[in-house]
Amino acid sequence: MSVVQRVPAPGVVLPLTGLAVAIGVWWMFTVVFAVPPFLLPSPAAVAARLAGNPDLYLTNALDTLWKIAVGGSVGVVAGFALALAVWAIPVLDRAVYPYLVAARVLPKIAVAPIFLIYFGVGFDTAILFVAVIVFFPVVVGTAAGLDRTPDAHLDLLRSVDADPVRTFLAVRLPHALPDVFAGVKQSVTLAVVGAVVAEWILSNDGLGSLILVASENVQVDVMLAALAVLIAMGLLLYGGVTLCYRAVVWQ
Amino acid sequence: MISVENLSVTYGDLRALDDVSLDIDAGEFVTIVGPSGCGKTTLLRTIGGLEEPTTGRVSVDGDPPDAAQSDARLGFVFQDHTLLPWKTALENVTFLRRMAGKDPDSAGARDLLATTGLDGFEESRPAELSGGMKQRVAIARAIHLGADVLLMDEPFGELDEITRDEMSVEILSLWRETRKTVVFVTHSVPEAVFLGDRCLVVSGSSSAAGAGRIVAEFDVDLSRPRDESVFGSEAFGRQVAQVRSALHSDA
Repeated sequence: MSVVQRVPAPGVVLPLTGLAVAIGVWWMFTVVFAVPPFLLPSPAAVAARLAGNPDLYLTNALDTLWKIAVGGSVGVVAGFALALAVWAIPVLDRAVYPYLVAARVLPKIAVAPIFLIYFGVGFDTAILFVAVIVFFPVVVGTAAGLDRTPDAHLDLLRSVDADPVRTFLAVRLPHALPDVFAGVKQSVTLAVVGAVVAEWILSNDGLGSLILVASENVQVDVMLAALAVLIAMGLLLYGGVTLCYRAVVWQ
Repeated sequence: MISVENLSVTYGDLRALDDVSLDIDAGEFVTIVGPSGCGKTTLLRTIGGLEEPTTGRVSVDGDPPDAAQSDARLGFVFQDHTLLPWKTALENVTFLRRMAGKDPDSAGARDLLATTGLDGFEESRPAELSGGMKQRVAIARAIHLGADVLLMDEPFGELDEITRDEMSVEILSLWRETRKTVVFVTHSVPEAVFLGDRCLVVSGSSSAAGAGRIVAEFDVDLSRPRDESVFGSEAFGRQVAQVRSALHSDA
């Protein structure tokens, strides 16, 4: 009989240790300095909040997730489509593309109050806002990716007179995918921010809204619990996109 | 088989080829040797329809290169292997044939890989293959396409000298079996002499005055089949010296 010792990969051990230490320091801080729980609750109090009313966090999380999923999908599809148009139509490339790149400096969050005036409060407005935020990195990533095909590969296909659609699908698109995904990855994190902002300004549900209401009632434990759920959601989404990337894109 | 009449190619002010004429018979192995930038690659690409003649005419089996491209009669092998990194060796071999709109022939492709010494590497991706192996896949791809004409643009240019010599012997045995017409561009004089039935010397410096012209033509007087022993023979050394002096007397 032999005893097999399973040692977890160091790639997982160190970050988890870091997290544990951070939570430990937070906990000690609240105990040692006897911080009043309404100012800074202990990690245990936050966990108790979560465990005490899981439905509240789950329902709100699903509301937020739904906005990210629908708005994100709309943004990704629209971004990809525009990048395709910009790539295929040189006139559009020169007239529009510089502004798409420049739009990086525009703080998209500042647009939310304008959306409020035009579209009012509601799910659709929130979706639209998330879509706009997701849109820009996807356009820029895709447009860059579509130009990434080596000339020699295009020459090769030209030498057998391959039709343009085949060339696009078989060579240009696969060469573009890493950049498309780079844009989508960037978008995922932005989409979470966008959904929360949308829930502050453009709709009245979801984790963003929960945080806002809890803030008005000075319920720091509720705010931190919602924040923890948001972080978990963001990580899951990012992980999901990374998995898609690994499945679809050659390494 | 291939006929080039009074071909000139200019890019703006740059004159790449000046009044080049040549005829290549079916089944002939013609090498084109010259310094970098002399226009030899332009000549090959124009024969293959990847560049347009500015004046003059190119025909392949009586048809313009465009028509030969559509019928998959031209098989290019570039200096860069141009394999798709996400496809296996086998998929890379069949890929071009599919792009040309012809039915893939997996068994035939496997046989070809075996003939080129890649037995057991069918499922390997380009990143797992050596430079020489990648070029073997690229050559198999051109043959699998079913082209009558192989247009090779310094295919061994990025390989080490030992691999180059091996590949030279291999390409000759492939040529003997398949009886393709081969146009082979190189800047290596020994390679040009070793491979060719006929060796064309191109000179020029891409300036207006020194556009690429064929300055000399040699019938290579070495018996076939040729193998490594040729490299050490006196006749080979003499022919190499002749071609070298033609190159240098013009420069």
